[in-house]
Amino acid sequence: MFCRNQTARATVARGSALEMEIRRGKFIRSELQDARAQDSDIQKKIDHEIRMRDGACKLLAACSQRDQALEAAKSLQTCSTRIMTYMSELQRMKEAQVMQNVPRRSSDAGPLDERMPCKGKVAISDLRIPLMWKDTEYFKNKGELHRCAVFCLLQLGGEIFDTDMVIVDRTLTDICFDNTIVFNEASPGFELRVELFSCCSEDDYSAGSTPRKLASKLSSSLGRSAGKKLRAAMDPGQCSLVSNGGAAPFLLPVPAVPGPKYHLLAHTTLSLSHVQDNFRTHDLTISGNEECSYWLPLYGSVCCRLVAQPRCMTQQMMSGCLKVKQCGGDPQSWTKVYAVLKGTSLFCYQQQEDVEANVEPAFTIGINKETRIRASEKDPHSKAQNICVSNQFGGEEVTHTLTTESREDTHRWMEAFWQHFYDMSQWKQCCDDLMKIELPSPRKPAPITPKQGSLYHEMVIESSNDLSSTVSDILARRMQELELRSQLGTSLTWMSVFEENNTKPAGFPRHCTSCLSGHSPRTPHRLPRSPASPQRCPRLGLLSSDASLTSDSDSHCSTSPCCHRHGWPEPSSNLSLLSSSPFGLRPRTLSLDAKLSTLRGRGYGGGTFQCPCQPPSSSLLTPLPITSRSPCSQRSTQTTLSCSSSTSSNSSSNSEGSHSPESSQGVLFSRPSPARRSLRNLRARLDPRNWLQSQV
Amino acid sequence: MSFVPGQPVTAVVQRIEIQKLRQGENLILGFSIGGGIDQDPGQNPFSEDKTDKGIYVTRITPGGPAEVADLRIGDKIMQVNGWDMTMVTHDQARKKLTKKKEDVVRLLITRKSLEQAVNQSKGKYPRP
Repeated sequence: MFCRNQTARATVARGSALEMEIRRGKFIRSELQDARAQDSDIQKKIDHEIRMRDGACKLLAACSQRDQALEAAKSLQTCSTRIMTYMSELQRMKEAQVMQNVPRRSSDAGPLDERMPCKGKVAISDLRIPLMWKDTEYFKNKGELHRCAVFCLLQLGGEIFDTDMVIVDRTLTDICFDNTIVFNEASPGFELRVELFSCCSEDDYSAGSTPRKLASKLSSSLGRSAGKKLRAAMDPGQCSLVSNGGAAPFLLPVPAVPGPKYHLLAHTTLSLSHVQDNFRTHDLTISGNEECSYWLPLYGSVCCRLVAQPRCMTQQMMSGCLKVKQCGGDPQSWTKVYAVLKGTSLFCYQQQEDVEANVEPAFTIGINKETRIRASEKDPHSKAQNICVSNQFGGEEVTHTLTTESREDTHRWMEAFWQHFYDMSQWKQCCDDLMKIELPSPRKPAPITPKQGSLYHEMVIESSNDLSSTVSDILARRMQELELRSQLGTSLTWMSVFEENNTKPAGFPRHCTSCLSGHSPRTPHRLPRSPASPQRCPRLGLLSSDASLTSDSDSHCSTSPCCHRHGWPEPSSNLSLLSSSPFGLRPRTLSLDAKLSTLRGRGYGGGTFQCPCQPPSSSLLTPLPITSRSPCSQRSTQTTLSCSSSTSSNSSSNSEGSHSPESSQGVLFSRPSPARRSLRNLRARLDPRNWLQSQV
Repeated sequence: MSFVPGQPVTAVVQRIEIQKLRQGENLILGFSIGGGIDQDPGQNPFSEDKTDKGIYVTRITPGGPAEVADLRIGDKIMQVNGWDMTMVTHDQARKKLTKKKEDVVRLLITRKSLEQAVNQSKGKYPRP
């Protein structure tokens, strides 16, 4: 008697008058698509794409720069794919039109039962494809860098989008595409095809960086790999066939243009089962092999965030006036509400205006997969039938009864509920909760940051009158610019020298010059010397910093670990060390790499670094959080660092934090100036014994 | 969180989404991290297992975006926007969190209380 409509979970007596009326209503309301209007739409799109493609071809022929050529080739590829898709879409529509023109019998209720699920938005973002370079890639080919230009083509239904182009070489571990692509007309059975295209991006095919004369000599005889590349570059243009549904295939010639050509490197297809409000990894099918010029060693997977927003979750599916009564309550207490069906709930507002005014609804009835809706028996009191909505709340069943003004309204609401349940069953996990799609706000392109290659790029070599000034001088000058002026703390090793020197006040080096000549410090293995003259105070500071930071002091790395905390010896220890070696020294050529890495460390400022060496006199360290300001960042919040440093019980006044200081050297110093503090903090960060914390 | 050497790490995780806050020309999240494979794990006050070299939340700025998103001090960050954080250096972790192009970070975090909650709901612990 009663038949539960399995798909819709809304019960109506089979063969009842209500059911028949609803079906008839659907038939009357069904519309035949206006195929002709859609036809011309597609035609216009095809024409547009053909024009774009011609433009891209012309650009490709005209441009001289490699980057432009790659971009133009990418547009060409995208346009060609779009044209092919639109052509096949047009074909399909023509066929459908032909089928529809066959007259249908009106009593045939079969196709009417077919429901179409609502469409939705599907967004894919944060595409990341890991690479797997062989170690030989790093150690051979010192000169030439095999680079490829890659981009992704994403296709869903009739919509095709491409991502930005990324140049990939062996310094990258992953190919990352920052774009967020949103497809607006996706059905639940969608298939999102992701294709990775790549094109070898080498300018000179014959020889990487050989001088031109030699290159021309060599061009007559090409090596094996060079020859392969040339052959790949000279790929003849292909003709692609588009079949016309049985009619004669008509050729869509892809114009043969010189210039870079993209090849399909990998592809995958994503569907509803891959949608999740989180990042997931999917497998890639790789085409091509190592011999191809456009080959990249892909790890074989792609990681991305694929979300879907079905329309039933974001838009109002049905709205109207209703009277609601909660079961178990007063039989006469009907509440008049304006109800809106959206997402997983039926929002009941007091008045219609509340919806726009964003006022909270009077109450909300949940409509989800667990909800049961029935049309109850005809109520003798009212004209229309009631609709009962039941939900389970923690073991209890709560039922609301809805009634409308007229029978048509009841039909409409039942139909809306059916459709809603059908949509939810089709879109599955997307209807549990609304998934967010973020479109990155259009923002000015970031200022060109210096390429993070080596510090050579950043350094400006100013012409100096003194031709014999070494790079060390330049470095020293640069450090000056970075405002590391005054006296700075010393390395740990030197501290041990001054154990006796507990109460040295923080003064400027001038005062202390004389008194320290008698010291015979236990110098580290390599005496760090500085090229500059010691007369100027700032220079001295630089000297010390340069020296202290580049001294090896038993360690195998070039940056010396300096533990910092408040109150370390400043000028005194520096000077003592310097005084032991005569001033006016020959320039010391520590390894340039050492100095450059030091500079790089300074340049970052806001970040945190690791120094892989251990200071030799490793007295026990304790982590202490100290507050510091990094020199180069403009963060308004404080950076809290937890530094482990050697402390002594004497200077325990400076210790903060949860760990008790352990005794080592006893040094007591005065409050340092901000610049000293900043360098000290930098050194603190470099100490491997610290447990670093960074503010994000 | 159980760590058996040689076996994949299993953990009960929670997803937290933090909207970055613009302060001048910086985008900040409002918390501090500690840890990393290049750091000394013995000094991590928040980790249960003192050989755990993961990234932990060590401080939350009151009223900041992280606090609003219900990130708590002592949480271990497992993933940031899909990038793994269980085997990264400290600097790599910081970089993944502070990308200038991203307005939102989606973290997967784990904390002891989550596992306890799961255990309780499974009935392992007697309910009062």
